[in-house]
Amino acid sequence: MSMDSITIPASPRQEFASGVVHCLPIVAGAVPFGFLLGSLAAKAGLSALDMGLMSALVFAGSSQFVAVELLDKNGSGGSAGLAVVGAILLVNLRHLLMGATLEQQFRGVPRARAGLALFFMTDEQWALALRRGPELTLAYWYGVAATLYLAWLTSTVAGTLAGALIADPTAWGLDFTFIAVFLCLLAGFWRGAGSLPPWLASAAAALAVHALSSGGTWHILAGALAGGAVAAVQGKRRMRDA
Amino acid sequence: MPESLQLDWSVFAVVLGGALVTWMTRIGGPWLIARTRPGPAASAALEATPGAVLVALVAPAALSRPSDALAAAFVCLIARRVPMVVAVVAGVVAVVVLRRLI
Repeated sequence: MSMDSITIPASPRQEFASGVVHCLPIVAGAVPFGFLLGSLAAKAGLSALDMGLMSALVFAGSSQFVAVELLDKNGSGGSAGLAVVGAILLVNLRHLLMGATLEQQFRGVPRARAGLALFFMTDEQWALALRRGPELTLAYWYGVAATLYLAWLTSTVAGTLAGALIADPTAWGLDFTFIAVFLCLLAGFWRGAGSLPPWLASAAAALAVHALSSGGTWHILAGALAGGAVAAVQGKRRMRDA
Repeated sequence: MPESLQLDWSVFAVVLGGALVTWMTRIGGPWLIARTRPGPAASAALEATPGAVLVALVAPAALSRPSDALAAAFVCLIARRVPMVVAVVAGVVAVVVLRRLI
């Protein structure tokens, strides 16, 4: 079923409005998170304009935290900059799977319109769209998207402006903020005991490569590959046992 | 020009690159599924990648000192029970206390 056929009698305006309303609780959670990202970006030396452009063009929370952390540690020049782009790609690879589950809803949508709509596909957008099922309309999609986009843009920029006012954000254990945020994001990816083997493999590989290479980001790639390899073996085994 | 409006061109290049690869991951799903059916191994690897990336990111820093490792374990325990902002603030408070004690 395509999004252009409306099976429930709701006008596009009503659909847009329900999209806005449905994502309000998510906005309440995203705004402090965006503010936090902005203040960390200020600590990394990013301007409000840098941060605003990143939120506007990348628009993917977890990967932006990773990017800001790497920019803070290694800067943006040359291979360090390429490593940041690579890390953003790795963190966002999950979109491939998420988008794949929306294929049915987007089947009848012209390519350009689908390409624009999918630009806004975040974890939250995807979850709300999926819950809507075959009744998903583009108006609903954009109700969610516009609200999340505005909230994310304003909160991250405001955080950068506020963060720049704090003299020394590294005091008070604020360097631990990144670790805590990443652990919280990680908890969201927990799918039961089966998640543990890939994570342990990733930790072992990352620690080994980190110890061997001084600084840099190779340990991230090593962890991603080790975790992915273990998960692939698990997937094969599940298939065989089924 | 106010400082907040200064643009770092090398950061902007990273932003553009990051925006392009991110958009490709977003449009790529429906495109790929219409052409290939990823096998169980490939989709399991893809599904595990974000978690593996996050683990690889935190592991060296979180295990660098006993105090930080303890605080990290504490955050893991509460992460799924309280809102993220609460967990982050509690973790930072814990690490400040633990660094003084250990």
